[in-house]
Amino acid sequence: MIEITDARKRFGSVTAVDGVSFVAKDGAITGLLGPNGAGKTTTLRMLYAVMKPDSGSVRVDDVDAVEAPQEAQARLGVLPDGFGLYPRLTAREHLDYFGALQGVDSGRLAQRTEELIDLLDMRAIADRRTGGFSHGERTKVALARALVHDPQNILLDEPTNGLDVMSTRAVRTIVRRLRDEGRCVLFSSHVMQEVSALCDSIVVIASGRVVAHGTANELRHQTGCDNLEDAFVALADLDPGEQP
Amino acid sequence: MSSRRTARQALIVCRKELKDSLRDRRALWSILFSVLIGPVLIGFMMNRLADRQREADMVRVPIVGLNRAPTLVNWLNQQSGVRVVEGPADAEKAVREQRESVVVIVPEDFADRFRASRPAPLQLISDGSRNDAQPSVQRVQLLLQQYAAEITSLRLIMRGISPAAVRPLAIEQIEVSTEQQRAAQILTFIPMLIMVAGFIGGMQIATDSTAGERERGSLEPLLVNPAPRIALVTGKWMAATLAAIASVCLTTVLCAQLMRLMRLEDMGIRLEIGPQHVGPILLAVGPLCLFTAALQAAVATLARSFKEAQTYMGVLILAPMLPGVISSLYPLGNSPWMYGIPMLGPFVLLTDVLGGRLPDPSTFLTSAGTCLVASVILIRITTALFRSEHIILGR
Repeated sequence: MIEITDARKRFGSVTAVDGVSFVAKDGAITGLLGPNGAGKTTTLRMLYAVMKPDSGSVRVDDVDAVEAPQEAQARLGVLPDGFGLYPRLTAREHLDYFGALQGVDSGRLAQRTEELIDLLDMRAIADRRTGGFSHGERTKVALARALVHDPQNILLDEPTNGLDVMSTRAVRTIVRRLRDEGRCVLFSSHVMQEVSALCDSIVVIASGRVVAHGTANELRHQTGCDNLEDAFVALADLDPGEQP
Repeated sequence: MSSRRTARQALIVCRKELKDSLRDRRALWSILFSVLIGPVLIGFMMNRLADRQREADMVRVPIVGLNRAPTLVNWLNQQSGVRVVEGPADAEKAVREQRESVVVIVPEDFADRFRASRPAPLQLISDGSRNDAQPSVQRVQLLLQQYAAEITSLRLIMRGISPAAVRPLAIEQIEVSTEQQRAAQILTFIPMLIMVAGFIGGMQIATDSTAGERERGSLEPLLVNPAPRIALVTGKWMAATLAAIASVCLTTVLCAQLMRLMRLEDMGIRLEIGPQHVGPILLAVGPLCLFTAALQAAVATLARSFKEAQTYMGVLILAPMLPGVISSLYPLGNSPWMYGIPMLGPFVLLTDVLGGRLPDPSTFLTSAGTCLVASVILIRITTALFRSEHIILGR
């Protein structure tokens, strides 16, 4: 479970996150929906503890991520914005490296690596260097790397960005599977169809604030829009018709 | 988080960085090339120098007007390693066009003036701008002076004067440095080469694992692992240090082989790097490698891209070269304070070791101690940089 309460983060004169609060529950997929620049990535970075909020609190399974970032990180699997793979290492070596850093013992790590290679259908690319990988293949490696230590909470920063249909489906299948295993999945996206198709709960974020929180239906109801896209636009306050 | 776990994580990072950099063939070749080019070039130059020295020992003296000074020619021919030949018609032109290193001209009035005990003229044609001709020119000058001294003595004896009367000074040169020390002074570039090899060896990992990691965007995923920043920085630093030490070993072995091949004894130099030197050399340079790797990592972490880091390295490489350059301009000697300066201490130690003079163990300790303290400070700085959100997330 992930809990963020009244988190704020400023960069110089720009307020990126302005009092964000929400809870992402176990056994559910929570979508973090917002336009580009809404503060999704900054929010996620505070959740996975590479950024400290200026104020507010972040808890991962009741561990304070601000006070004990490493303990929180041990409970998190993270697919950050931009995968950041090592082009000269193979897919398998990525899992070895991150698994070892997470402290997974070598026997368990070997077993877990095989599981993930099968789960993500990476058998053919497992022992190739990632330098020449396609976008979809890189996503798989980054995802496997995030899951190597079998984390309870999973944070995915726009995982389907730029993926083709097949790869997008593969990612969705895995995300659902993780949810069905009882894990907490937090998923950021700026594509409403994606979020509505996948998420049990949606947090809409705009200009660094949470503007709505609920299921897809609740959001439609709340905004009085039948169409989720219209609802999103209304919530994100982007509709030029509403501007004076 | 226990310190044992931190140490294990540092080792994991170190192993990964070494593996990663060993696969970067291009970078590996460029390191190898930069490390090897120095010793090879120096070896080639030294060899030429030795050849020239040998040539000077066996000097050819072209004389224009051989028959005007038969006694001089006779005397010269009796000296070992001297061969008198008929000089070219246009002596100045021959020297200018570098066909001859030196030509002696005996003018027509030589014999008359010589017999009359008046200063007999001799012309020595040489080109002062030609370094390679200097040994021959000096040898011929020396021979002529010796001949003149002998004639002086003979003439004084004939007039009943002791030759000692015109030698008010009896100068005896006593050289206090051992042969190896003198050789090490000439070969100041070898310590410099070894130090530069240490610098170049660690550079690739130190930059790729910091600035390169930032540029690739792989730093953020790395920092998501529950590993203290100090473990990550220490691992990267260890990998860079190991690469630096490997590079030092390679250069040392290469220099040792070259020394053996070059026959330096022909130059009056006896310098050998034998197996007994490996320990002291590593003791002198090992701590330096710790320091340069830490310095490189700290500076490279400030760079946003690998390229930017490389530019900084280009400036930084002057640091290990500085002691060598300064000492070749004016001798540094070895005062105790020098061992307490990170770049200078190892340089002075290396010069001593290669000069066949084993420095006092305390100087090794002073040098290693300061290098280590400086490294720890730099690692702390890098760790602080790795905590800065501006550094880890700003691109």
